[in-house]
Order: sequence, then C-alpha cells, then structure tokens
Amino acid sequence: MIRLHGLHKAYKTHLGPRPVLRGIDATFRPGEKVGILGRNGAGKTTLLRLIAGVEYPTSGKVERQMSVSWPLGFAGAMHYSITGADNARFIARIYGKPIQETVDFVEDFSELGEYYRLPVRTYSSGMIMRLGFALSLAVDFECYLVDEVIAVGDSRFGERCRKALAERQERSTLLLVSHQAETVRAFCTTAAVLNDGRLTRYDDLDQAIAVYQTV
Amino acid sequence: MGDALACQLRVIGALLLRELNTRFGRDNLGYLWLFVEPALLGGALGTLHYFIAHAMPGGLNPFEFWVIAYIPFYLLRGVINRAPFGIPSNQSLLYHRNVTILDILLARNLLEGAAVLGALVVFLVFFGIAFGHWPTDPFKMLFGMVLMLLLSHGVSLLVSAGAVYTELFERLVHLVTYLSMPLLGAFWMVFWLPYDAQRLALWIPSVHIFKLIRDGHFGGAVPTTYDIGYVCAWIAGTNLLGMAAIRRARRDLVL
Repeated sequence: MIRLHGLHKAYKTHLGPRPVLRGIDATFRPGEKVGILGRNGAGKTTLLRLIAGVEYPTSGKVERQMSVSWPLGFAGAMHYSITGADNARFIARIYGKPIQETVDFVEDFSELGEYYRLPVRTYSSGMIMRLGFALSLAVDFECYLVDEVIAVGDSRFGERCRKALAERQERSTLLLVSHQAETVRAFCTTAAVLNDGRLTRYDDLDQAIAVYQTV
Repeated sequence: MGDALACQLRVIGALLLRELNTRFGRDNLGYLWLFVEPALLGGALGTLHYFIAHAMPGGLNPFEFWVIAYIPFYLLRGVINRAPFGIPSNQSLLYHRNVTILDILLARNLLEGAAVLGALVVFLVFFGIAFGHWPTDPFKMLFGMVLMLLLSHGVSLLVSAGAVYTELFERLVHLVTYLSMPLLGAFWMVFWLPYDAQRLALWIPSVHIFKLIRDGHFGGAVPTTYDIGYVCAWIAGTNLLGMAAIRRARRDLVL
C-alpha cells in the first residue's frame, strides 16, 4: 500500500517558486496497475520521484508499506562510468541480493551482448533503459514506478517487459506515467489524470482516457 | 535498528568498491595509484627540502619532517577539495532510497583516508630502513591520522551541503585550502613562534593534530603538547552541523 497525503511540490526558479503539484491525495493498493495520464509538464515525473523518495515534497507525506522501485526512466539509478555488469554487482550489494545470480539475470534480461562489459556511458538511450529495467526486476520490488520508458523501447523488449510485469501480476503494483493513452491501455487496469497539479482517479480506464482527451 | 545498520554498512561497502573502480579503474597500475599518488607528492616535497637542507630545530631530519607534515595535510586538503563534487558525481545513485549522501561521502573519505594512510606506512618503513629511525609511537600517529580524517570529514559535509545551494564552494574551495596552508600547522611547530602567536595558533584544531602525529614520530626530540579534547570538540561540532546540513540539502536537492 502506498498513500499520498496532501503532496505539494514547488521548484525554485529564477522567476520564483513554480508549483508543480498542488495537493495530491491517493492510495495505491497491492496488485493494482494504475496509469497516470498527463500532458507534457503536468508533473508526472515529479510525482513518480516523490513516490520513489528520490526527491522530497515541499509539504505533505508519502507513506510506503511495500518496497518501491526507483523511477524507471532514462536517467538515474546507475553509474555511467562503470560497466553494466558492475552496476548489477553494485545493485546486488546495496539491496542485499546474491551477486552472481543478479549479474547473470541482468545480462540475460537486458540483452546487451558485449556492451554489458563496457561502461554505461557508451550505451544508447534504449540500452540504458533496458539495463535499468533489468536491474529493477533483479531486485524484485513490490511496486514498480515506470516513466513511459517501456513504450519508447523497441517492441520486442517492450513485449518482454510486459510479460515480466504480468508474471508478477499478483504481487506487483505498477504505477505508469505516460502522455499516451494507448500505453496506459496496454499495461494498466485503472487510470488517473494528472492535470493542473492535481490527481483524479477513475476506476474505469475508458472514462479516464475520455477525460484525459478533453484536458 | 540492527537491520538499518547492516543496510548502511552494506551500502557503504558497495560504494567503496564502486569508488575504487571509478577512480582508479582496473587497468595498468590501477589500485596502486591509490597510495602512489600521495606518496609521490610527499616524497617529492621531502626530497626537495632534504637537498635545500636548512637545519631543523631539534636536529630533525628535514626529509622526515616534511613528509610527516605533508601526508596528513594531503589528506585534509584532498578530502575538502573533493567535497563539492561528492554529490554531483554520485547523485544518480541517490535514486536508491537506501543510499544516503552521508553514505556516499563516508565511502569517498574512508577511501581517501586508507590511501593516505597506506602512503604514510610506506614512508615510515622507508625511514626505518634508510635512516634507522622508526616511529616512537606508531599508535599516536595512527590516532592522529584518524582525527585528521574525522575533522576533514566534518568540514567536507558542510562544504558538500553548501555546494548544493551555490557554486561558490566549488569555485573557492581550492583557493581557501591553498591560502590556509600556512595556518594549518603542517609546516611549522608551535614552539618556533613568539608567545602571543603560540596562543593564537593553539586555537586552530589541526595544529594539535599535526603535533600529535609529530609526537608519535619523533617522540621527545621536540616539544609537543596538544589537547585531544579540544580536537574532539571540533570533530563533534563539524560532524553534527555537517550531518544536519546534508540532511537539509537532501530535501532541497533536485536530481
């Protein structure tokens, strides 16, 4: 269970504080697959970062009663000057997972070939995304936070991600933020719309998409 | 509580290994650079002064005096100069909730401490073999190095936290450590100074640490008095303020 209590987030800019999130309350239960729809700049990534605990809210609170992944996207979570395999070792160590198993699993799932033994800075953005996703699956979280990333990946890898997440259907919660209704439809069973710094949940996917298309 | 500590230690261990890889790579001399770098600098400075060969008060070997002074100074300067870059160069790792800024800085500074200590040990063995002079009390020297690391660590926390808010720290840290070089007490002894200056010098915490290290190496050959309690108060003060500062900085950090 993840509970958000009155989340506000403002960023400091040269033009003064810019509010991004203006009071978000929500509950995400185990096993739910929730799509969060929002236009560019609506604060989707910010919301994921707060839920992940990567950044802190200006006010309000995030309550986590399950293990929550880092936000899976193009940035963060790995070190760019070491190899993919070394990143896997690092992740295994900090999350207390068996090292060799993790290295093998990530190598197999990410399909990076020789690049697995090269520094991450030599990777394409698609490869970084594959490595990031494989690393997070190796840790085996109870809730995955996904930042549009799967939709952007090539379709074969996208399919594998979908399968991997589906296999965890029972135990894994998925929060996926996207600006594309089709992506949400492919992965999620319910949806919410993030607009004007506020989040509205809809039990019915189609209803959420219909509302999203009007904002 | 026990779990949290185990997790903390696991994370610091992982960060140490990663820091080793990123700083020194696995090629060529690799990890050897860890203490070859401070050893070369200390050695060069010592040699320089050995050949200039001005007489040292108390008949100390100038080579030894300069190396023993330079190596702890190198630790202090290295830790503080690198502090503004501690967070930016590792911030992608803060995506993992169980990695904290304190873990990152602890790992970096522990590695720096181990490297410099390694270089010091190499020199002490060399002095023993070449000059027949072994440290009077190696534990005092070790204790001094630990105090120096803790003090530098405390200051580095403050500098790292400050660097989150302004570029000034990044721009000025080298200048400040360079200008403070003559003040820190590495390259002079308090008893060389006039009485009034001595009293002022003893306000500087690092002065006591250099004296402790010198006492461990030269023993009674030169007068050394120091106040460990005073140094510990500084260490506690800088570390507590530093931890509070990085805690605040973490909340304001935009990744």
